[in-house]
Amino acid sequence: MVNRKSVSPIHHLPFTIHLLMEYSQAEILQTVRMTEMEHLDIRTVTLGLSLRDCASDSIERTAERAREKIERVAGRLVSTVNEIGDEVGISIANKRISITPAALIAGGAQSVTDCLTLARAIDEAARNVGVDFIGGYSALVHKGFTSVENIFVDSIPEALASTERLCSSLNVATTRAGINMDAVRRTGEMIKEAAERTSERGGVACARFVCFANAVEDNPFMAGAFHGIGEPEAVINVGVSGPGVVRHAVEQAPRDAPLDEIAEIIKKLSFKLSRAGELIGREAARRLGLPFGIIDLSLAPTPVIGDSVANIIEAMGFERAGTHGTTAALALLTDAVKKGGAMASGSVGGMSGAFIPVSEDAGMIEAAQLGALSLDKLEAWTSVCSVGIDMVAVPGSTSAETIAAIIADEMAVGVMNQKTTAVRIIPVPGREVGEMVEYGGLLGSAPIMAVNRFGSADFIRRGGRIPAPIHSLRN
Amino acid sequence: MIYRITRAVYGRLGAEADERTVEQLVTDVYRAIEPVVENGGAGGERSPASAREREARDAGSASRLIVSVFGVDHPGIVAGVSQILADAGCSIIDINQTVVQGKFAMVIIADMTRARESASALKERFRTEGERLGVRIYAQREDLFNAMHRI
Repeated sequence: MVNRKSVSPIHHLPFTIHLLMEYSQAEILQTVRMTEMEHLDIRTVTLGLSLRDCASDSIERTAERAREKIERVAGRLVSTVNEIGDEVGISIANKRISITPAALIAGGAQSVTDCLTLARAIDEAARNVGVDFIGGYSALVHKGFTSVENIFVDSIPEALASTERLCSSLNVATTRAGINMDAVRRTGEMIKEAAERTSERGGVACARFVCFANAVEDNPFMAGAFHGIGEPEAVINVGVSGPGVVRHAVEQAPRDAPLDEIAEIIKKLSFKLSRAGELIGREAARRLGLPFGIIDLSLAPTPVIGDSVANIIEAMGFERAGTHGTTAALALLTDAVKKGGAMASGSVGGMSGAFIPVSEDAGMIEAAQLGALSLDKLEAWTSVCSVGIDMVAVPGSTSAETIAAIIADEMAVGVMNQKTTAVRIIPVPGREVGEMVEYGGLLGSAPIMAVNRFGSADFIRRGGRIPAPIHSLRN
Repeated sequence: MIYRITRAVYGRLGAEADERTVEQLVTDVYRAIEPVVENGGAGGERSPASAREREARDAGSASRLIVSVFGVDHPGIVAGVSQILADAGCSIIDINQTVVQGKFAMVIIADMTRARESASALKERFRTEGERLGVRIYAQREDLFNAMHRI
């Protein structure tokens, strides 16, 4: 009789087969262990799709064309990608679509209601082709609003509240243009409104909205993905992931191993993760008859225990993520991941920095609950990774101005350091510091974190623009 | 290359040759020819034959499956797994299996060129058979290993 319970995990198998096949025992075991036990997966295969040819003078026609095009081009996306996952033997967690920033094709919109027609058509198309998220209900307003964008931005809260798959973003700052503080102020108000409109669900609409500085055009990750204007007609972008794999390797390293050795270990692993990602991306592109775009090297956690960026940091020698020294550790991690990935693939793009979404990372949640991780530390971390204040829940009583001020800080870090930064924050209606809010699925659950109790309202109300830094003048 | 040398060595010495001796021999031979192989493989001028060969090998790896099986040893595991491959029309290219302290480990490289079943159907069969046998069976395409472990 076989005792199923006594089946040993691969970790404990002695290296006994002296394999003289083309791959060694250790290599085969490592791959199986990574994919089956340490949650190595392809986090997302994202189809970038231009909708610029859908624009027309009537918003109904634009919406109809957009729906038709998404359904036509992405019709086979989900089934094809699932097929590849089964064949190759690696899980592909999400299939998604990013589209041209919708504000660019919404020229025919006369009102908020018009914009909502477009939003719902896009969301419906996403549901029909079976993707979990579609990104690009977006506008690029870092230097100012066009008349359509003025209406469009007002439509975002209701667009998010009345859809399920639609993701939205605003680019409010770039190193070249500076920070559009009018846009920052409006974003604060918008986030409050989106939270209110979904108050019975913990303000979940805010989880599908990101505010950017220096947004990238080929980001495959949600909620911030959109298909930039420099992109081709349609393209396949891939986001790999594997915090579990990296954590396991760092934990296995001797406790007194110097940090350059840790960096070396991470670099080598990142190489392997990236190669697996590129294999999937190129295969998906080939089968869908589309060009392959980029592979995004961001380490992205999931709420699954062990698949946590915070745990990687802690494995380097901290009691909890968020304490002193963790910015240095995160810097080491992000840099090593990039170096390994850049060696593995010639098509690295997107955000390519670690993600630190609090609600989606079991280690971050714990650190925040224990008071080890604060909003201030998250902001500091942004200087060395990509999305700073990400999936952070704050008390519902937080004012729109305070939220705008949090955004302004993050945007400044991005603009001054010529890098992408972003904010995804949820002022949870009716909740106070210390409570938890449950979103379920990939969005996880968020502890309500404290914001500074002193006001920033007068600064935010000034509006205007924070000029571009001197080092933007590079020509 | 190592694989081909190993096959040749086993061919000459017979299947009952001592595993360690074979491994040592193969390592020695490979070390001796390694510089030549490296030059031929990565050097500036590549002969048309080797480029074609490489292409064929790369193309081939998408149709090859690496099946790894781990668990507690008992009779019938090899039979169960290979029966699935046979039913699916996959031929076994290489197979390596061992038992240490009651723990069973096996790696099979199979050719799927003439497979009659889809990857997802095969995966499902391995899952149910794995449950029946009380072992874990993983099937992954060879090019995943190639991508991750070969530059």
